[in-house]
Amino acid sequence: MGNTMITEQQVAQAMPVKRYQASIKAWCMDVLLWSYSLLVLYKLGYQSWWLDLRHVDFYWSEPLYALLAGMLVASSLSYTKASVGKACYGLIAFDEGRSLFRTAAVRLGLLFLLLTLIAGLQVSQVSMREFFSDSGLAGAQRIFTALLNPNFAIFEEALFAAVETVYMAFIATALAIPVAFVLAFFAARNLMKNSALSFAIYAVLRFLMNLTRSIEPLVWAIIFSVWVGIGPFSGMLALFLHSVASLTKLYSEQIEAIQDGPVEAMTATGAHPIQIIWYGVVPQIVLPYLSYTIYRWDINVRMATVIGLVGGGGIGTMLMQYQGLARWNDVGMLVIVIAAIVWLMDYASAKIRAHLK
Amino acid sequence: MTLLRSENLCKTYPNGTKALNQINFSVDEGEFLVVIGLSGSGKSTLLRCINQLHPISSGAIHFEQQRLDQLQGRALRQHRSRIGMIFQQFNLIPRKSVLTNVLAGALASTPIWKSLLGLYSKAQQQQALAYLRIVGLEHKAYVRADNLSGGQQQRVAIARALMQNPKILLADEPVASLDPSTSHSVMKYLQKINRELGVTVICNLHFLSLVRTYASRVLALKDGKIVYQGAPEDIDEQWFTTIYGEEAVEVSIN
Repeated sequence: MGNTMITEQQVAQAMPVKRYQASIKAWCMDVLLWSYSLLVLYKLGYQSWWLDLRHVDFYWSEPLYALLAGMLVASSLSYTKASVGKACYGLIAFDEGRSLFRTAAVRLGLLFLLLTLIAGLQVSQVSMREFFSDSGLAGAQRIFTALLNPNFAIFEEALFAAVETVYMAFIATALAIPVAFVLAFFAARNLMKNSALSFAIYAVLRFLMNLTRSIEPLVWAIIFSVWVGIGPFSGMLALFLHSVASLTKLYSEQIEAIQDGPVEAMTATGAHPIQIIWYGVVPQIVLPYLSYTIYRWDINVRMATVIGLVGGGGIGTMLMQYQGLARWNDVGMLVIVIAAIVWLMDYASAKIRAHLK
Repeated sequence: MTLLRSENLCKTYPNGTKALNQINFSVDEGEFLVVIGLSGSGKSTLLRCINQLHPISSGAIHFEQQRLDQLQGRALRQHRSRIGMIFQQFNLIPRKSVLTNVLAGALASTPIWKSLLGLYSKAQQQQALAYLRIVGLEHKAYVRADNLSGGQQQRVAIARALMQNPKILLADEPVASLDPSTSHSVMKYLQKINRELGVTVICNLHFLSLVRTYASRVLALKDGKIVYQGAPEDIDEQWFTTIYGEEAVEVSIN
């Protein structure tokens, strides 16, 4: 009985505190939204359109002024219903009978969204005039004509380069499997949460893997092409590293999703931890692992063609060379070969994975 | 002769739930002890504390003149292998054959490298088949375990536990996922290994009718405390409401 009374008191005390925290967060959100909007209005509406400046300069003082102005606006509106932040943190009671679009906060939110949309179109320099200009259309026609008349004389050459790409992707995947297999056990929360040391290993490994994965294979290929020279080897290393990171993540998620039952049963037989993993964990993850691995190979083939563009070898490198020489008929041939391989890999991997279920 | 003894056993989970409170009981060799109580009364926790799947908070567990709760590593695994366990959800290894599942009961007595390669001795394989014969599933030895029915899976689990050559068999709600007739079949196999192989059984059960048929002694838990210890015949209406609460109605299973 004593316990429940304490909790009720705590809740009663905690409620205003929570409300207070939420209104501070809501105010911060409003300030950010207004500062951003005012800055965009100033740069886009005033400088770019009203003054019609060709080149808009940026000064660090501008966002600071915008922040001050945003604070002013947000504070002056903070006791009205026109606050997106308050709506997001549930501090405004919505009238069930009224349409959402008649609420001040929702209307204001839509206005911010519209502003962003207009600013986005302006910044990406979207221009229908350029798209339909005579010289532009003529150029497009020239390239498409060449692409649609591929040069079959280089078919053999393209095929050999494509084979190189597929093998490169295969080796990258094959070498990544054992590394990711071992790392996955150390990156699985349910196996590593038991002691402080193992949890530290888990956290560090997760961080390193996320870091490796967040750097595009294209960037790794550039790094490795400086390290080991331009060619399939640098591309393979880039794909390998990226595959290890993403397979470790996929594998470890699979380990985290296993049923505890068999593990508990194996523990109860008095088995050694290694035996527990081999008998209680591995049989549950083998098929999903295979499925992920084949999918990864499929992805690697696709990535390998792109990586070739920065000197990773294979058909991508060839594509880059011919495109630089403006040999569009040859490029057309290469595009066909790449499309065929990607389609074939996609089809085969989907088929195999469907049968592994 | 006393085989297992629990002394002032307490278990508090990390989230603060007090699952077991001052549990004192002992089990003699050859008994068929049934533990009853509502869901959440601590039955499952008690079984898992006996073989240290859950570490205990305070108190002691004595098994074969050893403090089980003080053992670690290799010594703990050795003693665990002398205590078999079966579960409500059977907990067989999926995608593996029935024989492989039974052989997994011998992991503690097999070198690690051999077990990783699946190299079990002829004698172990013979023994596994013999235990499958005891639970009447010899003809299913090479079938995938997850293709069997619930009752058959539980019998494979019993054979796996027997493969440990256990002194005690812990059974955590062994028939709660099974239909009535299959329940009796599984309980009969437990009775058979209790009587013919002399394995002491500690079993969690829900149905009082099963308790009266199979138990040699009953232990009732309520809110983590022992509220009744004695013969199954002595549980009358009054005890029943003490254990299960005022609103409970006795349901029988035939």
